[in-house]
Amino acid sequence: MDYTIVVALEMVRAVAWLVLLASGLAIIFGMMRIINFAHGEFLMLGGYTVVISTGHGVNEWIAMLVLAPIVVGIFGVLVERLVIQRLYGRILDSLLATWGLSMLMIGGVTMIFGNSVTGVATPLGGMSIGAYQVPRYNFVLIFAAIALLLAIWAVLKFTKAGLIARATMQNPDMSEALGIPTRWVYMATFGIGSAITGFAGALLAPLTGVVPTMGVNFIAQSFITVITGGASVITGTLSAATLLGSISQGMTFLTGPVYGDAALLLAALVLLRLLPQGITGRIFKKSL
Amino acid sequence: MTTEHILTTRGLTMRFGGVTAVDNVDFNLRDGELRCLLGPNGAGKSTFFKCLTGQLTPTEGKITFAGQDVTGALTHQIVNLGVGIKTQVPNVFDGISAYENVRLSARRKHLAPMARELTHTTLERCGITHLAKREVGLLSHGQRQLVELAMVLAGEPKLILLDEPAAGMTGDERDRLAQLVLESARSAAVVVVEHDMAFIRQIAKFVTVFNRGAIFREAMIDDIMQDREVQEIYLGKQANVAAA
Amino acid sequence: MEKPVTRDPGFYVMVAIGLAVMFIAPVMLDLFTIMQITQYVVLSVFALSLGYIWGFGGILSFGQAAFFGLGAYTFAVASINMGSTTIPMVLAFVIPTLFGAALGYFMFYGRLSDVYLGVVTLVVALIFWKLINHTAGPEYSIGSARLGGFNGIPSIPTLHVPGDPSAWLDPGQMFQVFMGFLLVIYVALRFLIASDFGRVSISIRENETRSSLLGYDVRKHKVIVFAIGGGIAGIAGAMWATYQAFIDPNSVSMEMSAKALVWVMAGGVGTLVGPIIGCILLQWLTLQLGTVDVVNSIAVLGAIMMVLVLALPKGIVPTARSLLLGGYILWKRNQGQAISGKVVKE
Ligand SMILES: Nc1ncnc2c1ncn2[C@@H]1O[C@H](COP(=O)(O)OP(=O)(O)O)[C@@H](O)[C@H]1O
Ligand SMILES: [Mg+2]
Repeated sequence: MDYTIVVALEMVRAVAWLVLLASGLAIIFGMMRIINFAHGEFLMLGGYTVVISTGHGVNEWIAMLVLAPIVVGIFGVLVERLVIQRLYGRILDSLLATWGLSMLMIGGVTMIFGNSVTGVATPLGGMSIGAYQVPRYNFVLIFAAIALLLAIWAVLKFTKAGLIARATMQNPDMSEALGIPTRWVYMATFGIGSAITGFAGALLAPLTGVVPTMGVNFIAQSFITVITGGASVITGTLSAATLLGSISQGMTFLTGPVYGDAALLLAALVLLRLLPQGITGRIFKKSL
Repeated sequence: MTTEHILTTRGLTMRFGGVTAVDNVDFNLRDGELRCLLGPNGAGKSTFFKCLTGQLTPTEGKITFAGQDVTGALTHQIVNLGVGIKTQVPNVFDGISAYENVRLSARRKHLAPMARELTHTTLERCGITHLAKREVGLLSHGQRQLVELAMVLAGEPKLILLDEPAAGMTGDERDRLAQLVLESARSAAVVVVEHDMAFIRQIAKFVTVFNRGAIFREAMIDDIMQDREVQEIYLGKQANVAAA
Repeated sequence: MEKPVTRDPGFYVMVAIGLAVMFIAPVMLDLFTIMQITQYVVLSVFALSLGYIWGFGGILSFGQAAFFGLGAYTFAVASINMGSTTIPMVLAFVIPTLFGAALGYFMFYGRLSDVYLGVVTLVVALIFWKLINHTAGPEYSIGSARLGGFNGIPSIPTLHVPGDPSAWLDPGQMFQVFMGFLLVIYVALRFLIASDFGRVSISIRENETRSSLLGYDVRKHKVIVFAIGGGIAGIAGAMWATYQAFIDPNSVSMEMSAKALVWVMAGGVGTLVGPIIGCILLQWLTLQLGTVDVVNSIAVLGAIMMVLVLALPKGIVPTARSLLLGGYILWKRNQGQAISGKVVKE
C-alpha cells in the first residue's frame, strides 16, 4: 500500500517536473512557433540567480519565487530585442541563433563561475510514508506545477492579453491580419516564457545543483514535451507531460534512469508519426 | 458514369474550423471536356482544386478520377494518375531556370533525351523559348504563369486544372493562353477558374458557378451571363469589397 | 545546373587542388603537420555530409553528430572485434545510412515541419550522447569491445591495406588515403547533385508543393538524401576513430553537431566547397584560440554562430560569389550592356 502511494507520487512528480520544465518553452512555441534552443541555459540562469542571491543572504523562497523569474524574464526581453526580433519570419535562423546563444551562455558562465557544481540545500527536509522516506520538496514541485498551470489558464481566459494570445496560438496569420501589434506581443511572450523558465530553473536548483552545463540534462525532456504537446500551452503541455512523464517514469522503474529519456524520445517519434502537429494539432484543437 | 466521366465528386466538403469552404459539391466532368469555373472571391474554387489534388484532405465526400477513388490520396499519387494543376499563387522553382523548371516536369515520365525534346516543344508552344535560360524568380508575374503552364503541359496530364491563369498577363500573353487552353483541350479535360468574362467567352461553353462553397448554377455561358442571380452574387460581393 | 559536371572548369580545379595536396603535402611537410591537417580532412568529410543534405536537399539537421558518432562507434566496435578495418569501414557507412533511413522515415513520412525536424534531430543526438555516457560499466560490451561510457574506447586499430591486417598505414599514407576518401566523396556528390535525382532534391528544396504537384514523392526523396548524408557522416566518424585510435561521447555531443552547422553556415549553404573551407578555417581558428587560456572555446563557437546568423546569413562562398557577380554586372554596365536577368549558373 505504502509502496503504491510512493510510486503514484513519483509518477505525479515526474509529470509536474515536465510541466515546470516545458511551460515557459511551450508559451514561446505556442505564440511564435519557434523553439528557444537556449532554454536549458535559461534554466541554468534561474539556478544561478538562486545561488548568488542566497549567497548574499536573500531568503531562499524569495530568491526562487521572485528574483529568478524577474532576472531571467528581463534577460529574455533583452534577447528578444537584440536577437529574435531581427530574425522574425526566419524560423530556422532563430533556432540557430538561440543555439549560438546557448553555447555563448555556457561558455560565458563557465568563464565567470568556473565549471564546478554549486549545491543548493533542499528546503523542508523529508517526511515518511510508511517505511519510505519522501522529500517534502516533491510536494512543492507538484504544487508549483499546478499553480503555474492555473495561473496561465486564468491569464489566457480572463484577460485581454490572454485573448490576444489565444487568437495568436490558434491562428498566427489571422491575428496579424486583425492588426494586433505583434511586436509587443512577441516581446511580452518571450519575456513571460523566459520568466517561467527562470522560475522552473530556480525550483530545480536544489535537486540538481547548479553548473554551467546543467541545461543539457533538461532540454531533451523539455523539447519533446513541447513538440508532442503542440501549439496549445495548457492542454498540450499537460497531456504531453502526463503521457511522457508516465512513460519515462515507468521505464525508469523498470530499467533505471538511463533509458527513461530514450523511451520518451521513442514514444514521441511514434506519436509525431501519427500526429505531426502534436497532440493538440489534431485532438484538442480548440483548447487553450 | 465512370466510363464517360473522368472526374466526379460526391458530397465533397472541406471545413476549416467554422468556415465551410467547400460545401457538399457534386461535380462531374466528361473526358476531354473544357469547363469554366466562376464565382466571387472566397467562393471556394481554389480550395476545391486543392481537394482534387490532395493538397487538402476533404472533411467529407468522395473524389473519383479516371475510375479510381482518390479521396485522401497523396498529391504525387494523384498527379501520377494524370492530373496537372496551375495553382492560383504561382508555384514554380524560383532559384532555377525556366528550362530546368519545365524539364523537371517532362522528366517525370520520360527518359532524358525524350524529356529534352518535350521541354523544348513545350517551351515553344507556350512562347517562352527566349526565357529558357532565365532564373524564374526574376521573371514577371505573367511570364511566371506561362512557365508554370508549361510545367503543367509537359506533364502530359489527362486533366488540367488552371486556377486564374490569366492574372497578371498582358493582352498578347492572354491571347496565347486562350489558344493554349483550346489546344490542350483536344487531348485532355480542362477546368479553368477565371474572372475575366472576355477570356471565358473565348474558351468555354459550359460553366459552373460556385458560391459560398456550393455549386450555384451549371449552364451554358450565354445563359449564365443573362442570369440575374449570378450577377447579383458577383456584384454583391464587389459591393461588399467596396464597402470594406 | 544545366551544365554537366564534366564541363565545369571549377570542378577540375577543385579535383586538381585535391590531388596536388594529396601527393605533394606528405613530401613537403613534416610528420606533425601532416597529422594536424589529416584532422581537417576528416572533419571536412563530416562538413560535406551536412553541406549536402542542407544545401541540396533543404534538410537542416541539428544532430548530424549522431551519425558521426554512430559511424565512429560502429567502426571502433567492429574493428576491435574483427581485428581488421576494411569491413568495419563499410559498416560505418551502412549502419548510419540505415539509421538515417529509419529516422528519416519517421520524420518525413510524418511530415514534420522544419522546427519539429530540427528539434527531433537534436534530441536524437542528445539521447544517443546520454546513452553512450552511461555505458561505463564492464557489462556494456559488444564482443570484446567495451563501450567505456564517458571514458571512451581506446586502442582502436589503425587503418590497414585491405586484406592484410598487418600492413598498417603510416601517418603519411593515412593522410593520402583520407584525402582520397574526401575527393571521392566530393566527386560522387557533385555527380549525384547534377543527376536527375539531385535536380529533384534541389527542386524540393526550392518548392516542396510544386515538386509533389509534378508527381515526385517528396517524402521518399528526403529520406534518401537524409540517409546518404548520414552514411557520409558515418564514414567521417570512422575516419575520426581510426585517426585518433580513440573515441569518446564527445563525438556525439551537441558541440559536434553545432560545429558542423557553423562550418556549413560559414562556408555557405548550397555549395560543396563552402563547407570544406568553413571547416578548415574555423578549425584552424579554434586551434589558435586554444592557446589562449581565458577564452572559452564553446563561447567562441556560440558567438560565431550568432554572428553568422545575424550578419552573414549566406556564408562566405556565396557572399564572395555575389560580390564577384555584382562586380561583373557593374563592369558590364560600364560597357553599355544592360543585363536584364541573372543567368543561372550552377
Ligand atoms: N487554409 C485555410 N484556413 C482557413 N480558411 C481557409 C483556408 N483556405 C481557404 N480558406 C477559406 O475558404 C474560403 C474559400 O477560399 P478559396 O478557396 O481561396 O476561394 P476562391 O479561390 O474561390 O477565391 C475563404 O473563406 C477562405 O478564407
Ligand atoms: Mg482562388
